[in-house]
Amino acid sequence: MVKEYQIIARNYDLAGRASSDIKRTLKAMNVPWSFQKRVCAASYEAEINIVIHSVGGYATFEITDQAIILDFYDDGPGIPNIELAMMEGYSTASELDHANGFGAGMGLPNMKRSSDLMNITSDHEGTHVHLVFYRGETHDQ
Amino acid sequence: MKLSDIIKKYQCHLYTPETFHDKDISYAFCADLMSDALMVLNSVKDDRVLSECLLITGLTTNQSIRTAEMLDIDVVLLVRGKIPSLKVIELAKELGIMLIATEHTMFNTSGMMYADGIKGIIYNQQW
Repeated sequence: MVKEYQIIARNYDLAGRASSDIKRTLKAMNVPWSFQKRVCAASYEAEINIVIHSVGGYATFEITDQAIILDFYDDGPGIPNIELAMMEGYSTASELDHANGFGAGMGLPNMKRSSDLMNITSDHEGTHVHLVFYRGETHDQ
Repeated sequence: MKLSDIIKKYQCHLYTPETFHDKDISYAFCADLMSDALMVLNSVKDDRVLSECLLITGLTTNQSIRTAEMLDIDVVLLVRGKIPSLKVIELAKELGIMLIATEHTMFNTSGMMYADGIKGIIYNQQW
């Protein structure tokens, strides 16, 4: 099964809708609780990142027998220094983002911590975050 | 401690009577930064802990409700007399989350709850 979600930049009212649908889907499939939680925590952080930092994008959510695969694509402006962006506490977010409870430089580190595999590619045309969560494996944070 | 006792003792206003059901509350976590809540509460491995947990926050936007949803927490307590907008109340109702609010500050609310035996969630600590 593959689902796709549009993510709108700067729209905090709709931010989290994609992750909410992913949560409901995993719940309906009786996926183990702690697995649901780490998929959704990472998904929510990635979704919020597109809302905060990009001009908009979309996400895809794929379920296979072996894994849950999340891909987040945006249309730029890209991450100039991925290594720096992966550091806890590094952020380029605004006061509006802070007022909405995010933007403290924890998004990407949280995604890495919650997922089993994370890849980021980025240039001025956009960023792609690829997250994989293997089913049936114990995850040590 | 029963949620109904918390509402009474801390003079909370219940914004979502439609979603209210009384339950035991044994744990709490407070944050205005939702990434902190996601990281720390995500480290809890026992679902019974989060089912008896409430999220204390000063953040009155949709994001506090969405964060609770992601973590399967169904009680959000707003502090220092903050008033949520109607859209936030509606989202809480839609998701079955009990949204309550107190005039007490975050520090005082947390201190009183701790004195009442409510335990704080700690990163990667299991009960």
